Amino acid sequence: MQVLIFFLCVISAAWGAETDPFVDVKPKETPETKPTGFFSDNFGFRKELMSEFGATDSGWLSSRQSAGFEVLKKFSTETKTFLGIDFQGRLVWREGFTDSPNDHEGKSRQGVVFEYHNAYADLYSLFGGVGRFNLRLGHFYVPFGLNLQTDTHGTILQLSNERNFGFERDWYTGFWGILTEDLRYDVYYLLGSGYGINFNGQSGLGAARVGLANKYLSNYGLEAGASFMGGQRLSPNIINTLRGGLDARYRRAIPSGLLTLTSEVSAGQDALDAVVAQLYQLDYLHSSRRFGVASQLRWFWQQHLPSSTDSSILAEATWYINNDVSNSNLQWLKLNCEVQFAKQTGDRHVIWTLQYYWYW
Amino acid sequence: MSFGRFSIIGIGRAAFFAIGCTLSNPAEDLKYLFPDMTSYKEDLKEFPKLADGKAQFQALRERLGSDLDPIYETYETPYTIYYVFKNSKKIGLVHGVNVPGKGGVIQVFLSVDPASAQVKKFFFQRLESSAADQLRSKEFRNQFDGVSLADFYKHDYYVAAKSKTSVDKIAKITPPKIDPSGRQDYDATIRGIRKNLLLLDFFVYDRKFEPFFERAKQKAKQ
Repeated sequence: MQVLIFFLCVISAAWGAETDPFVDVKPKETPETKPTGFFSDNFGFRKELMSEFGATDSGWLSSRQSAGFEVLKKFSTETKTFLGIDFQGRLVWREGFTDSPNDHEGKSRQGVVFEYHNAYADLYSLFGGVGRFNLRLGHFYVPFGLNLQTDTHGTILQLSNERNFGFERDWYTGFWGILTEDLRYDVYYLLGSGYGINFNGQSGLGAARVGLANKYLSNYGLEAGASFMGGQRLSPNIINTLRGGLDARYRRAIPSGLLTLTSEVSAGQDALDAVVAQLYQLDYLHSSRRFGVASQLRWFWQQHLPSSTDSSILAEATWYINNDVSNSNLQWLKLNCEVQFAKQTGDRHVIWTLQYYWYW
Repeated sequence: MSFGRFSIIGIGRAAFFAIGCTLSNPAEDLKYLFPDMTSYKEDLKEFPKLADGKAQFQALRERLGSDLDPIYETYETPYTIYYVFKNSKKIGLVHGVNVPGKGGVIQVFLSVDPASAQVKKFFFQRLESSAADQLRSKEFRNQFDGVSLADFYKHDYYVAAKSKTSVDKIAKITPPKIDPSGRQDYDATIRGIRKNLLLLDFFVYDRKFEPFFERAKQKAKQ
């Protein structure tokens, strides 16, 4: 009887058995790889071309043509990436000025000018555990509002900082990193001179921002933070500056694409004047990533000026030739129109800007 | 550890040099995946920098089994691989890719075992989908634990052979309960996992699983 059961088991096993066609296939051995050199190991280089034309309802015309590049190099030991360096440079040729939303500095930079934008170094995880204290030193976006995490290098639409402080980038140093499981922080000392390194008696600015950790963006499409800035800046004279602000950006998928709602609100003082700034923006990007539209409302108010308010609404349409998700390969044609409702100084205008941009 | 809460920031609007699927604060997210890690190291990879980059890119397309999207999956797209260490020991490898979904971007990240190249955790960084909640469910994502690129190649073989077998790990994956409109994003997710493992095989493992691809290819030709 036992012999019969044994044979039945063997037969049933043989019928049910599956032959593995990969039984003789083995993965290849992976050879040891070593870093190969400065320019091939964690070295990124991108080129940039921009051609922009502006026109106003009063007949002013402008041209801004530029060629630029960006370099990022990261340095590592066998087990740790400890330093990152980023530099953006642009050779710009300007003729005329129409005060396009992304070229307020064009008024003082006519002709051919070399400009730097990002020029900074990050030292990672200096002490206190992984990601807790990272040191930044150099010229980068002012750490107030959403600009630290928003690339406006090539776009026409900008955020609030340039209008709010007179510059969107400044020279600074300080720390950024993990505050808690839910929050991240930025704390810096800024020179308060904007584009150039200038000392003219100003004490500089202290700035801090506490924002939601990455998981809120990933899980809910939400970025939000609270910022503070205080001290003295140059614009062009020394201005005692105090600001507190809230910011948020919410991204939501809809059946045909992606909607993004952005807002920055701040209030404080410039010298003896109270100031309030508000910015609201709505973006739509089609799921093909081939075209998008956006609209932005800007409102800046300052006490004690004869005309206290700057306000405008902007509308923009973009056709993307390349629109890599990572922003590493971009090519677009943008048409932007700004309608100014109120101006603190000068006349109100309607400003048209046509831009071709290629970053690769 | 709840991976439903895990996140890695989207790179779409990072305010610095644009690198594909880069973590804006890698420490924050890697620490969540590997609580006992002591450091991490980044490795930037780009097809144009490879000696035979064009051929490799073509090989990627062949092994993926579908065309590469001209907007989402370009030849120039850079990739960042994160090596995670506990003191001097390599304990993990993390890599993310973008794939086009029905509503937009789907960013698929994998944490793999450095030695075996098998998936330890699969998670989404960005998921612009009406089926996001179902695709993010732990029950669905956990099915990929232990899967390797070899399993995808084996699946190709079994599909070509028209044979159903219990050793086909990919065929055993159960989709989450989603309405038909979300099916495209499910398919894109599977494709993203395969693409992620393929890129790791190209960039890190020197095509460790190529013998499995060759066997599946032979079957498909028969």
